[in-house]
Amino acid sequence: MTAERGTVQSVERAARILRELGSGASRLGVTELSERLGIAKGTVHGLLRTLERQEFVEQDIETGKYRLGPAMLQLGNAFLDNHELRSRSLLWADSLASLVTEAVRVGVLNGPSVLVVHHVFRPDDSVQILEVGATIPWHACALGKAIAAYLVPERREALLAAQLPRLTGSTITDPRALRDALQAVAAAGYAFEDQEGIVGEAEIAAPVFDHRGLPVGAIGIAGPVERLLPDGPDEALVGAVKQVARRLSREMGAGRTAAHGG
Amino acid sequence: MDADFIRSWFRAVAEDVATHRDYLTQLDAAIGDADHGLNMERGFTSALDALGQDGTPGGILEAVGGTIVYTVGGAAGPLYGTALRSAAAALPEGREFDREDLLSALRAGLQGIQRLGAAVEGDKTIVDAWGPAVSAFERELRSGGSVADAASRAAVAAEEGARETVPLQARKGRASYLGPRSVGHQDPGATSTALLFGALARTARGSL
Repeated sequence: MTAERGTVQSVERAARILRELGSGASRLGVTELSERLGIAKGTVHGLLRTLERQEFVEQDIETGKYRLGPAMLQLGNAFLDNHELRSRSLLWADSLASLVTEAVRVGVLNGPSVLVVHHVFRPDDSVQILEVGATIPWHACALGKAIAAYLVPERREALLAAQLPRLTGSTITDPRALRDALQAVAAAGYAFEDQEGIVGEAEIAAPVFDHRGLPVGAIGIAGPVERLLPDGPDEALVGAVKQVARRLSREMGAGRTAAHGG
Repeated sequence: MDADFIRSWFRAVAEDVATHRDYLTQLDAAIGDADHGLNMERGFTSALDALGQDGTPGGILEAVGGTIVYTVGGAAGPLYGTALRSAAAALPEGREFDREDLLSALRAGLQGIQRLGAAVEGDKTIVDAWGPAVSAFERELRSGGSVADAASRAAVAAEEGARETVPLQARKGRASYLGPRSVGHQDPGATSTALLFGALARTARGSL
């Protein structure tokens, strides 16, 4: 792979090393990295030593293999701290979670996926896994559908034209059916998802708008399908989600009309 | 085989799930909600009530599946419930069934799971144990084996399938949200499926 014009090859290679260390096999030696990335061993070694000095990678003393370093965590946290929608949503997400006693997630569109930037656990004593950083195909979650419904038409069509992977038997993978579903979302002001991402799970979400009236993300509640969609989407839950999304939109600078999803 | 075979099978499942409750929960804590063991124990214990009733083998299996859908939470309830109900529908209507019927039922169970979850082998799900188990069961029958032989082969294949989920990255279910972090952990669903087939093998050996 050659670097594109105007980019620096060594930086791109260093980034590829970090991505490789961050995917699956968590510890890799110089030879393994060299083979996987098609970069000469000497070059890989030099890049690793530079990254190690910056604490982006660290070397296991016993095996000599490399893994991601502590600076990566600091950068990840800095990303989240600087994320405006996330920072502004913290209190709203907490109050929504305690109001409805379900988990709350806040997401933004990142390519064809929703990146979860905030997740509040369902407020009970159960063990749950933190979904911050998870990426979910946009069409398989309510967050993604809530955002997509309000995008400018060209961006929405681009999403519909891209691959639509099937996550469960209920995932909508037909672009025409999805386009209809998004029209219904725009009419209703919220989106829901019925076991389209995970069997047994549902989500109800509403878009969050900025000062331009464009969707910057979405906030929603996720939980067991029988509680969220007892007989279609639960009206009280829908009301709570829409209200929080409106208030969050106002905080993000949206005008009154946009904040109402219009 | 008759309704008593189904009864013995699901008594054995309830025992095994209870015995391995903490193990299943421990596996689930790594890549899920840490509730798989408890959910499975609750569901299959409740299903014991359904075993007491009179009925055809298919009727009893249907009742077990119906209980599981509502008593096991998360994804496991709908998946196991659908599997058992699909299996029940594939059994003949009479009071007896033979080994070919059992094979059809196990295969229908797999199809039910795949209809609902759209998972294939390698996605790090129940299918990674159930799929190889059905194939092994069929191979043994085709080479002239008894139900007990076929069920034993299926149980071994399910166990191996569950163990082989360890290096896989989850492509379905909540564990898939973890991306690379799901690597290195055994899938709890595939593990409980191995228990189901282990109980089937014990029942088949005992009924000879």
